[in-house]
Amino acid sequence: MDVDSMDRETIARVAKVARLALTEDEMERYAKDLDDILNSFSVLDEAPMTETFTFNPIPVLDVLREDQPGQDIDPQLLRKQMGTYQDYVRGPRLS
Amino acid sequence: MSSPGTYDLIRYAQRKHRAFTEVVETLDESKFHFSAKDNLCAEGFQARAGSAVLDGYSPPFDATAIKRLKMGGGQLVGKTTMDEFGFGTFSVNSAHGIPLNPFDLERSCGGSSGGAGAAACLIPGHVALGVSTGGSISGPASFCGVVGLSPTYGRVSRYGLIDYGNSLDKVGLLSRSSDLVWRHFRTMAGPDPKDPTSCAQPTLPEKGIMPTSLAVPKEALANIDPAVGKAFQQAISKFQDLGVQVKEVSMPSLRYALPAYYILATSEASTNLARYCGMRFGRMEEDLNQHFNDFFTGIRSQSFGDEAKRRILLGTFCRMVGFRSRYYLKSLAVRQMLIEEYRRIFQEHQAVLTPTMPFLPPLFEEIGRMKPLEMYGADFLTVPPNLTGMPHISLPCAYVEGLPVGMQLVADHWQEMDLLEAASVWEGAFPYRFPEVVL
Repeated sequence: MDVDSMDRETIARVAKVARLALTEDEMERYAKDLDDILNSFSVLDEAPMTETFTFNPIPVLDVLREDQPGQDIDPQLLRKQMGTYQDYVRGPRLS
Repeated sequence: MSSPGTYDLIRYAQRKHRAFTEVVETLDESKFHFSAKDNLCAEGFQARAGSAVLDGYSPPFDATAIKRLKMGGGQLVGKTTMDEFGFGTFSVNSAHGIPLNPFDLERSCGGSSGGAGAAACLIPGHVALGVSTGGSISGPASFCGVVGLSPTYGRVSRYGLIDYGNSLDKVGLLSRSSDLVWRHFRTMAGPDPKDPTSCAQPTLPEKGIMPTSLAVPKEALANIDPAVGKAFQQAISKFQDLGVQVKEVSMPSLRYALPAYYILATSEASTNLARYCGMRFGRMEEDLNQHFNDFFTGIRSQSFGDEAKRRILLGTFCRMVGFRSRYYLKSLAVRQMLIEEYRRIFQEHQAVLTPTMPFLPPLFEEIGRMKPLEMYGADFLTVPPNLTGMPHISLPCAYVEGLPVGMQLVADHWQEMDLLEAASVWEGAFPYRFPEVVL
């Protein structure tokens, strides 16, 4: 895959990973848009790299609670939304 | 207590300006009234985040911010329109209505909390919950001529917020006055065990300190519409008249903020939106006999809008093997570099001052001609504080051709109260105007 350009082959591969089915027209349009966007973002190549970054802009604490059973929301209320079958979530075939 | 016409104004804002997706049937006059952007979960309302993929989703719980306002004596009166999942600068990317500017129906409210901006402007005493990832509170506050506070990342719990970029999303407030924002922000803020990113915060002080020195980065004033630039210079003069020192500074790392933000935001969005697949909530795919790849792909392709697809594709690409280091990790490094650059400025000044948006509220026909990259570029003033998690506030600072112009103050992490103090002093010197509503 060419790192420096966003062609139809690349966008097709990205769309497959993202579980999006694109029409031919969309494929062409998004390839052009992403190419423009990534070209403009190449200014980042000039920014210095550092190893001292975190994944959040502020410090984050781990929060633990007492190991006691608790229930915020009645599971029945949640299942009601989900169109469950005999309390099982319905989903597609795996193969 | 609300004035007798509040419900009429809410319906007017819904009907004429498309500010709301849903409103209550009746008002409780014993309570104060607030609205919530449609990506915040609340009992009794759908939470669709502007996306067709969530049609029909009615959460059985309240987001922490909403729960706390209700416990503080508030009634949630409606959900406000927004760009799909927050993906936009003008609130035109919505499956549930495009909000129209209170000052001119042919212009944008800004995005992505556009409905919140319109509601805050049109309804006196109203407080609108917004959410900012890259400028989604400041932008609408500027275009709708109201006060918009985006707190420090982690100050207000994100529990019950439908994620866009989870290291960037912040719940904040829009209203006609800083006093209302101050009051309700204090109710909403504070640690919440349901959101660990809210648990490392220092205690919110009762009152802030008025900044005595403001920094204006020269890099932020390039590519500004001359009318906005002139209005901003007048605002600087007014601050100086108030005894505040205003000094030009340089922040060279600002040039990296926009790409770093869009890479982090879309990378996070592309994973957060993986959960929308036709099962469990929102739109359900009925044909269970399909292979799971076809099942997931079908519902996502039919339901996501154009900009959502574009951002999912961009974010997925940036996280792929071979590109992760060049884009995603580099953007994290840029965020850290920019935090350090802000900190250097805050050693000498208490806040950074810029215009909020580079131009006046645009006409919808102008927006229709803009390319995606141009739209992203419109966020270049609001993205830096959002990327770095710094609190910021947008305040009306001028009126040009009958349209509001906003300015934005950015402070160091956790210094929201200083921004609100500045907003209060500013309001005393610069009376805000609001459009006359004829019911």
